[in-house]
Amino acid sequence: MSFIKIDNLNIRLGNFHLKNCSLTVERGDYLIIIGPTGSGKSILLETIAGFYTPEKGKIFINGIDITNLPPEKRDMSIVYQDYMLFPNMTVFGNIAYGLKKKIKDKEKIKDEVNHIAKVLNIDHLLDRYPNTLSGGEMQRTAIARALVVKPKLLLMDEPFSALDVKTRSKLRSLVKNAIKEYNTTVLQITHDFEDIWSLANKVVVMKNGVMLQKGSLEEIFNKPSPNFVADFVGTNVLDAEIIGKDGDLTVLNVDNLTLYSYELDYNKHCNNGGYNKVKVSIRPENIVIENKNKDIYFKSERNERNERNVFIGKIKKIVNRGYIISLVVNVENIDFNVYITPNNIHSLNLKEGNEIYIIIKPENVRILYNSKNKIKN
Amino acid sequence: MQLISFRKSCIFATFLFTFLLFIAIASLFLVPNPKDILESITTAEMIYSIKLSIITSVISTFVVLVFSIPIGYSLSRFSFKGKNVVKSILDLPMAFPELVLGLALLILFGQTYIGKFLEYIGISVVFTKLGIVVAQVFTALPYGIRIIYSTFEEINPRYELVSRLLGYSELETFKNISLPLARNGLFASTIITFARCMGAFGAVLILAGGSYMNTEILPITLYLNISYGNIGMAITSGIVLIIISFLAILIFEKFEGRNSNSSKI
Ligand SMILES: Nc1ncnc2c1ncn2[C@@H]1O[C@H](COP(=O)(O)OP(=O)(O)O)[C@@H](O)[C@H]1O
Ligand SMILES: [Mg+2]
Repeated sequence: MSFIKIDNLNIRLGNFHLKNCSLTVERGDYLIIIGPTGSGKSILLETIAGFYTPEKGKIFINGIDITNLPPEKRDMSIVYQDYMLFPNMTVFGNIAYGLKKKIKDKEKIKDEVNHIAKVLNIDHLLDRYPNTLSGGEMQRTAIARALVVKPKLLLMDEPFSALDVKTRSKLRSLVKNAIKEYNTTVLQITHDFEDIWSLANKVVVMKNGVMLQKGSLEEIFNKPSPNFVADFVGTNVLDAEIIGKDGDLTVLNVDNLTLYSYELDYNKHCNNGGYNKVKVSIRPENIVIENKNKDIYFKSERNERNERNVFIGKIKKIVNRGYIISLVVNVENIDFNVYITPNNIHSLNLKEGNEIYIIIKPENVRILYNSKNKIKN
Repeated sequence: MQLISFRKSCIFATFLFTFLLFIAIASLFLVPNPKDILESITTAEMIYSIKLSIITSVISTFVVLVFSIPIGYSLSRFSFKGKNVVKSILDLPMAFPELVLGLALLILFGQTYIGKFLEYIGISVVFTKLGIVVAQVFTALPYGIRIIYSTFEEINPRYELVSRLLGYSELETFKNISLPLARNGLFASTIITFARCMGAFGAVLILAGGSYMNTEILPITLYLNISYGNIGMAITSGIVLIIISFLAILIFEKFEGRNSNSSKI
C-alpha cells in the first residue's frame, strides 16, 4: 500500500480541466511537479490540500480516503511562492501557530520553535514582523511554520521562485537538511530545473492539465526518446566535464565544446567536493542569436571584450509557437533549443539552414550537481 | 502644449468645484447669528434630537456590521446558486431614492403579513423609534456590505488555507486570520455606516414619521424647522450633522493613514 495515493483525479474550474491524474508517493519521497505555467500544477496541489473539490477521483493517505475531509483534518501543510505569512503575527507567532493547536504546553512550543528556527537559521528573527524581513527570511519562516508541525505531507508551490539565484541555492540546501531532519514527505512544484536535480527523487511532468510523464529522477532523465526537457520545459541539459577554472569562471567541456560558467561554489563543489562529471542547464531564452554577416568586425570586437561562449551554429529548425519562436541550432555535435521573439526573427531575417552566432552569458550556464557524479576519492 | 492645457483645465475644474462646495459649507457656519445657534442648540428639542440620532445610529451601525460581515464574507469567498442575483438586490438601495426605500419598508411593515405578524407579537415598526433603526439599517447596509466585501476580496484566501491546514477550523480561521487581516476595512465600514445612518432621512421620514420629539432625529429636525420657518434651528441641526460627519471622516482618514503602512505586506 502506498503512503499517498491519488487516484484518477479530475477537477474542473472555469474553462480549465485537470484530467485523470494518478500518482503515488512513498514515505520520505521528494516529488517534484514540473511543467509550463497554466498546466494545473497549483490546482492539483491545492486539491490535495482540500481547497478545491474534485469532480471525480480519490485521494488516500495510508489507505484512508481523505477526498472529502476538510483541510484541517488532512495533516498537511503548505508553502507558497509569496510566503503567506500572517502579517499580524511575529516570526515566532507564525511558526508557533500550528503547534498551538496541537500542544498546550507553552515551554514545549517554545522549544520546538527554537529548534526549527535554528535549523533554518532564523533564530535571530523570532521577534520581528514579516514586513521587516527579506524574501529569503520570509520563505524560511514559512517553511519553518509548515515543517514544525511534522505534517504527513508538505506541499510547496514554487517556494524558491521569488528569490534571487544566490538566495535560492542557499535556501535549497537549508531546506534539504531540514526536510531530512524532520523526515518529511514532500510534494513540490517548480519550473526551475535545479530544484529537480538537487532535491527530487521523483518527478512528474504536467502540461495542459495532464500528467505527461512520471517516474524516478533516473527514469525521467535517461528515457531516450521523449526528451521531456526539450519538449515541455525547453531547457537545454547537457553532459559536461569540469576541466578547470578561469578567474571567476568554471571551464567546462561539453562534447569538445568549451563552455564557461559563472559558478559561485567552484571551491566547494569542484576543488574539494570532487565533482567532475556534471550536467549543465541553459534556458532557451537565455541564448542570444546574432547574424553572422556582420561577421569579422563583430567577431573581433567580441574577442576584444573577451566574451565567452560565442559559437557559430546552423539553424536546423524554426517552429512558430505564436508568442514565441523556438529554434533548434546545431553547434558541432550539440543541438541547442533557443527561444526568440517574433520581432527578432524578422529583424534578423532568420531561415532554416542559416549560419548564425549564438552567445550564452556565463551566468546563464548553470551547473547541476548530483552526488552520482561525484568522483570517488 | 496640448497636454499642459488639458492638465490645467482638469485642475481648474477640481478647484472650481471644491471652492463652491467649501463656500456652501462655510456659509452654513457664517450666515447665521452665533447667538441664534447657541440658543437653538440648548433647546430641549435639539438635545432630544441629537441624543436620539446618536443612539439610533450606534444601534443601526452595530446591526449593519453584524449582518454585513457574514454577508460580505460569503459574497467574497463562497460560490452558491443565485449569488449574482443576491448581489444585485443588495446593491439596489444604493441606486434608488431613499424615499422609495422608505415607502417599500412602510408597505412591508404596515401592509403585509410579515408586518402584521410582528405587530401581533408586539413589535411595531411603523411610526416608532424602532422604525428609525430599521430605516437606517436598510439605507446603510449596502454601503457596509460593499466595503467589507471588497476588504475580504483583497485578502488572499490562501492565508486561510494555510491556517486550516495547520489544524484550525473554518470558524477559528475566520477569527484568527480573516478578521484581523480585515481590520482596516471593518473600521472603514463602521465609520461610513455610522455617517450614513446619521444622515439617513427619506426612509426614516416615511417609515418612522417625523413626529416632534418622538421620532425626531437631526435630519428630521432640520426638515421640520425649515417647514415652520425656524431657520435658526434648521441651520443648527445642519451644523451638528456636518460636524459629526466631519469628525467621522477625520477619524477615518487618521486611522487609515496610520494602518495602511503597517498592514501592507
Ligand atoms: N479558481 C479558478 N477558476 C477558474 N480557472 C482557474 C482557477 N484557478 C486557476 N485557473 C486556471 O487554471 C489553469 C491552471 O492554473 P494553475 O494550476 O494555477 O497553473 P500552474 O501550473 O501554473 O500552477 C490556468 O489557466 C488558470 O487560469
Ligand atoms: Mg502555479
